[in-house]
Amino acid sequence: MRRLIARYAKDLGEYFEVVTVWYDGIEKEVISNKDPHIRTLSRTHPAALWFERKMYDDFGIIIDDAFDTRPLVHQERFPERIHPMRKAFCKTHIEEVAYRPYKYETIRGDGVFEVAVGPIHAGIIEPGHFHFSQAGEDMLHQEVRHFYKHRGIEKMLEGKTLFEAKPVIERISGNESIAYQICWRDIVLQATQKELPEANRKYHALLLEMERIVHHLTDLGFIPNDAGFGAALTYASRLSEEARRQMHRITGHRFGFGAVDFGAHTFDRASMERYLDTLEDAITFFEGWISDIPSLWDRFDTTGILQRHKALKYDTVGVVARASGVTVDRRDEPFYHAHGFEMQVQSSGDVAARFKLRLAEVKNAIVMLRRFVVDGCDAVDIEEVQDGRYVSFAESSIGELFMSIEIEHGVIERFFVRDPSFMNWQALHLMMPGNIIADFPLINKSCDLSYAGNDL
Amino acid sequence: MLTEHPEYDIQMQAIRKEIKDEVKRKFTGSLAIRMVDSGSCNACEAECNALSNPYYDLERLGIYFVASPRHADVMLLSGLMTFNMTPHVLDAYTQMPEPKWVISLGACPVMQAPFEKTYAINAPAEGHLPIAYHIPGCPPTPEQIIEGLLAFLKAI
Repeated sequence: MRRLIARYAKDLGEYFEVVTVWYDGIEKEVISNKDPHIRTLSRTHPAALWFERKMYDDFGIIIDDAFDTRPLVHQERFPERIHPMRKAFCKTHIEEVAYRPYKYETIRGDGVFEVAVGPIHAGIIEPGHFHFSQAGEDMLHQEVRHFYKHRGIEKMLEGKTLFEAKPVIERISGNESIAYQICWRDIVLQATQKELPEANRKYHALLLEMERIVHHLTDLGFIPNDAGFGAALTYASRLSEEARRQMHRITGHRFGFGAVDFGAHTFDRASMERYLDTLEDAITFFEGWISDIPSLWDRFDTTGILQRHKALKYDTVGVVARASGVTVDRRDEPFYHAHGFEMQVQSSGDVAARFKLRLAEVKNAIVMLRRFVVDGCDAVDIEEVQDGRYVSFAESSIGELFMSIEIEHGVIERFFVRDPSFMNWQALHLMMPGNIIADFPLINKSCDLSYAGNDL
Repeated sequence: MLTEHPEYDIQMQAIRKEIKDEVKRKFTGSLAIRMVDSGSCNACEAECNALSNPYYDLERLGIYFVASPRHADVMLLSGLMTFNMTPHVLDAYTQMPEPKWVISLGACPVMQAPFEKTYAINAPAEGHLPIAYHIPGCPPTPEQIIEGLLAFLKAI
């Protein structure tokens, strides 16, 4: 089956263009903006659903045969019949309207009850809502409801140059900043018809693997913590802090904001090698220690299973897909293979698989980082940006990131980005049936998806 | 274990004692913070989580993050006050018992991040909540958050 990557629309004035991005190609459909209709893809590709619901909110495009026409981005107090991604909409302020309740997906029956969680959660995490239908402790169904963090990023970037947009793009999702910057970089290179020298490419790839290490180490602590094993969090949070400090030593910023550019850089090879030696020792210890705690694996094994055929059906990406046996990784290409990349994959699709996958990816990242170390790189001259439509991909610490930027008269006409989380959130509910609600935080953390990148 | 800028650690040692004393004097030894993300990029949250790692271990100074606004003295507010989050942030504030303070965290709630105003953004937060103190940065580092909390403690 073809893998769906994204589906989004664009206002062409008299017409809307609906773009569907598949793994093997891009399809475009032009429809009138007087009475815009399209047909749904969600019957064969369930993850098309959020794209299509978003398309109604953004543009007012009606999905003829949709089985779910509820608003997605526009919540209870958002004015009806406002479609902010239309070019004619240019307000920077809207007033709240009377509360209209959102109809959650629920299962009804004797003794079945609902549990509502969020948007504000107990811990220090991003806001989002999870709605459960429960039979006692057992989760019968869960609906994920997001877009509380919707900032209107797509609209915000219209009319800006690529370089004006950069500080916003690198702050769309803080945990994936380098990945977003690399997508931006590849679009700049395409639009200026430039090739990136090997040393610069290695330097950027090094930053991306550092970002992955920070993110995975954080999860390697928080996942066991959600199973009541706090000692792992203490140990791994020390490692993630050290990784962030290493990121700061390299880029001058703990998250690498502003780090991917076309400037010249010098690099402290010795400091990096010392750091990697220390990390390698620590990970070896951590793996030996954590692999031998039966009570922890009793919580991890068979919890929150996403079966391979469902991972495929829902077009999942990244850690979630690979932990369910789907070999999808944007690093699966010659440059990365030449620097030690090995596709990491697990087959059990449970919390244990996602945990082990992250551990394996940290170890593989250490191998790659040793080969990405450079003494420095020279500046690249960037000349005039050519108008056109450009797309790029990067493998963030969560999964495949897709970005599309259309430039007209030197400025952005349409900015679209599909965070890996946007695909994987839609598959989260598949992991719940057969599990108890007390394991929900554990299952959710094992996926560690972004809310900010999803909500835009 | 890596050794980290030791001169800074010495500076932090002095700050730690000051914080502990201030928390003792003004909050009888325990300052409860409810962190609320009103539409951030998640970097501010990552840095607040870092405050619990063994390098900073904020809780030993009597400052800890609580799950409910009803247990909180302070709301630590990050993000752009999105249209969709605004009612929930105000709800959380209403739930906090008096006396209460709001500290805005990072560039977003004061509209100093690179984000521009859109239909979906209600920041600056001061139009919606009384902001007692602001901790700048994008994101503020754990050290800057600790320094900011001390400055807040001294200011009230």
